[in-house]
Amino acid sequence: MNNFTPTEFIAVVNQTLEYAYPSALITGEVASFKINQGKWVFFDIKDETSSISCFMSVWNLRIPIEDGMKVTVSGVPKITKWGKFSFTVENIKPVGEGSIKKAYELLKKKLTAEGLFAMERKREIPTDLVRLGIISSTDAAGYSDFIKIINARWGGIKVTVAHTQVQGMDAPDQMIRALKYFNEKSDVQMIAILRGGGSADDLSCFNDEQLVREIAASKIPVITGIGHERDESLADLAADVRASTPSNAAEMLTRDRNEEKAKLARTMNRTYQVLMQTIERVQDNNNRSVKRIFDAINTKYIEPMLVANNDKMKNCLKIIQDAFSNVQNILVQKIKVLDALNPERVLSQGYAILSGKISPGEDIDIMTARQEIKATIKDIKERK
Amino acid sequence: MMEKSELTLNQKIEKLDEKVEWFYSDSFKLDEATNKYKEAIGLAKEIEKDLNSLKNEIEVLTEDFSK
Repeated sequence: MNNFTPTEFIAVVNQTLEYAYPSALITGEVASFKINQGKWVFFDIKDETSSISCFMSVWNLRIPIEDGMKVTVSGVPKITKWGKFSFTVENIKPVGEGSIKKAYELLKKKLTAEGLFAMERKREIPTDLVRLGIISSTDAAGYSDFIKIINARWGGIKVTVAHTQVQGMDAPDQMIRALKYFNEKSDVQMIAILRGGGSADDLSCFNDEQLVREIAASKIPVITGIGHERDESLADLAADVRASTPSNAAEMLTRDRNEEKAKLARTMNRTYQVLMQTIERVQDNNNRSVKRIFDAINTKYIEPMLVANNDKMKNCLKIIQDAFSNVQNILVQKIKVLDALNPERVLSQGYAILSGKISPGEDIDIMTARQEIKATIKDIKERK
Repeated sequence: MMEKSELTLNQKIEKLDEKVEWFYSDSFKLDEATNKYKEAIGLAKEIEKDLNSLKNEIEVLTEDFSK
């Protein structure tokens, strides 16, 4: 049988505990919670019959805790040098709707008082967004929805994705590292933090104090699309822009290319109309002015000379008439050229404009004088 | 002839808006209008082509954010 000193025995027991429980999770109710010297946190975690002393540093306390809250702690068991059993906590999070809500309200009150959620801190989405950073799990449905929608709506954006956990105890630290990465090593214009729907427990990582502070401190504007419309996290409140879901974030960040195409056609048609109306107005004015001059010359000089049967003046009259006719012809030609450029005129003759990739199986848009049609190409044959 | 530009899609749309604005402004001159209109049509066609063909480029970082 071994004979130990107390120090040796405690070391052996701690080695055994470390081997048996390199990391353990314990869920229970918090009691006797206190912070000493602003650095060390002590509390008990208990159930109906048992209680365990817990110890942790304030740095690891990421959300406000009070007596009576139900929490899950992760950490390692240990015997202290005084021979007392203690659980060294590395991570703590509230569990159950009541505790999550309580912790949320406490932290919200604290950070609101610090001004982290103030409206005057909010920045807008860049108008010309061409470089976007995403923080999300690439396996998540919310991420897939986001990518699908931005690809359908718009193009030309370079999207850089930081794959992180978006649920669980490690998620806040991973998202913080990704935020630091984008702020320090990238040139993205906006960061989107995305996660689809889930339970209050699933989404509780977005109420982590350090994550919320990192979002508020980000030099690059942040948009959040977390959970569903009804879910509101502290990350949402700290972000510059809050979208209700990942899909909504995609809609807020991009314009719709189909709407832009329709707007483009309307703008060019309206511009053509303005141009045509102006040319017609100028032509009318020119016609009237030339006619007035012609009438004046005619009345004052030519008619009297014609009466006198003067051949020289007859020639003069012809030159003036030809010049007037030339001016008219030039204007008519200009109008014809402009008219030929008008796509509406082509459509009104029964033609259609196709747009899209001309390849079997591809979807294309067809515009006629009265309709906008979507169609799929079945087959293509060269004309003989 | 329109120069092939390195402008982004949004910048091209802004440029077209400026060109169209000219037709409604006091700077409008009939003898410049045909050329301005041709320029606007050229840019509009370029924008439409971009709207039909431009794709987003998606890159997933290889960095491990769990450490």
